[in-house]
Amino acid sequence: MKRRLFLASSIAAALAGCSPIGTALNDNAGFHHALGLEGSLDAALMENLPGLAREYSIADISKNFPVDSLPTPTSVTYDRLLAHDFQSYTLAVVGAVERPLSLSLAQLQRMPQQTQITRHDCVEGWSAIGAWTGVPLRRILQFARPHRDARYAIFRCMDRDDQGTPYYESLDMAQAYQAQTLLALRLNGEAIRPDHGAPVRLRVPTQLGYKSAKWVREIQIVGSFAHLYGGKGGYWEDQGYEWYAGI
Amino acid sequence: MQRLVYRYALLTRLAHWFGAIAVAVLISSGLQIFNAAPYLDAADRSTPTRRVLSIDSPADGIGRTTIFGHSFTTTGFLGWGSDGNGGEGARAFPGWLTIPAYQDLADGRRWHFFFAWIASLAWLSWLVSSAVKGNLAEMILRPSDLHKLWPMQAYYLRLRRDPPPHGSYNPLQKAAYTFVLLVLAPLILLTGLALSPGIDAIAHPLTMIFGGRQFARLWHFVGMLLFVGFVCVHIFQVLTQGFFNQMRSMISGWYRLREHESVGP
Repeated sequence: MKRRLFLASSIAAALAGCSPIGTALNDNAGFHHALGLEGSLDAALMENLPGLAREYSIADISKNFPVDSLPTPTSVTYDRLLAHDFQSYTLAVVGAVERPLSLSLAQLQRMPQQTQITRHDCVEGWSAIGAWTGVPLRRILQFARPHRDARYAIFRCMDRDDQGTPYYESLDMAQAYQAQTLLALRLNGEAIRPDHGAPVRLRVPTQLGYKSAKWVREIQIVGSFAHLYGGKGGYWEDQGYEWYAGI
Repeated sequence: MQRLVYRYALLTRLAHWFGAIAVAVLISSGLQIFNAAPYLDAADRSTPTRRVLSIDSPADGIGRTTIFGHSFTTTGFLGWGSDGNGGEGARAFPGWLTIPAYQDLADGRRWHFFFAWIASLAWLSWLVSSAVKGNLAEMILRPSDLHKLWPMQAYYLRLRRDPPPHGSYNPLQKAAYTFVLLVLAPLILLTGLALSPGIDAIAHPLTMIFGGRQFARLWHFVGMLLFVGFVCVHIFQVLTQGFFNQMRSMISGWYRLREHESVGP
């Protein structure tokens, strides 16, 4: 019986050891890097698959769409835009394009609109369904005509974290031209609320929510994002989340 | 007379131990991921009115677990407990159960997806090799085994002197391994895949057969609980059925037959 007790307690110790051993390995730079290689494998396997996000009916729309992001911008610039119903807002399309653009909200609203009722899947685990209306990103890129060597669209946003670091995101050109990638102006039939990213937010329904950047002010077409902020292609990516957010 | 028999092929043993480590990591990193949204809904999108489980902290120093609308105080373990940094705080599952111990969703995901590959490859290589070698056929529970399940259980409960006649695996072993390795393991993998928006985009039916994304998250969690249940029974059996002999056979392959014991595991 003593032997069994000894064995049982060693197994209990082995189970309790799982977390400390894992944590120690997690804090080891080499091991941590090796773990991250799996993300590149997923990206290589998944990112060029066709596939469209499922579209839902009006009855499926979530009553309360959560607000789960950096706080709504409080800058003087944003307050001024908000105070005038974003009449002076412009979306800049710059970088490696033949025709840089500066689009007002009215111009965006006059372009042909697409509505999609899609599910927003947060990396934390929750999901919410909303009806998003706006301009497919590919239409804007067709106007701007990215250079042939362009690889990524960077989305620069107006929100900042408590350290003052601005939010940004990136998509590769295939994702940017995907039929459902949308610059959304409206949610559930009404102009997007400030806390949902007014006046313009990105919607990428085939990837996790952190790709769907709010408060977009500029789209920059680039060949690489290695020189931007943490170099990983996005605010959350710089904090360890995968660049390919389809998993 | 006691004699040694070669019971487990090298690939089976490798698959077992890689699988065991991977499952331990998948459970702890999975709890880390759960902590980021510590509730489960029986629906496609998040739906508080269809909440099956939630673990929260209604006030500092209090942990609460709610199952099907019934709340329990679980302070110190669920809802409020070790924060993985030496202190205490609002945490669904405590630091000593998660990888990493401190709250870090990004790293929990890295661990989970890395070891999901290891578990899947271990499972697949075992499945293919045992199917090719024919061992799989001996292990699968068949309709003709069903009437032997209770006699076998009665034998374990010492209500019966001898086990019912059986092949390499007894009927309860067949039932357990068939369920865990051929039903539960693939379901856990599929419900995990169904959570990914990229997978959902290329395979809508996969997510919808489980009832949608949040429902798949619930099934994934229930699958984990069933797997933990199997592991507990499995470890109990190893402890009580000749621990050193069992361990040697799963490490070196060689098992010492006891008197009157048949060759199979």
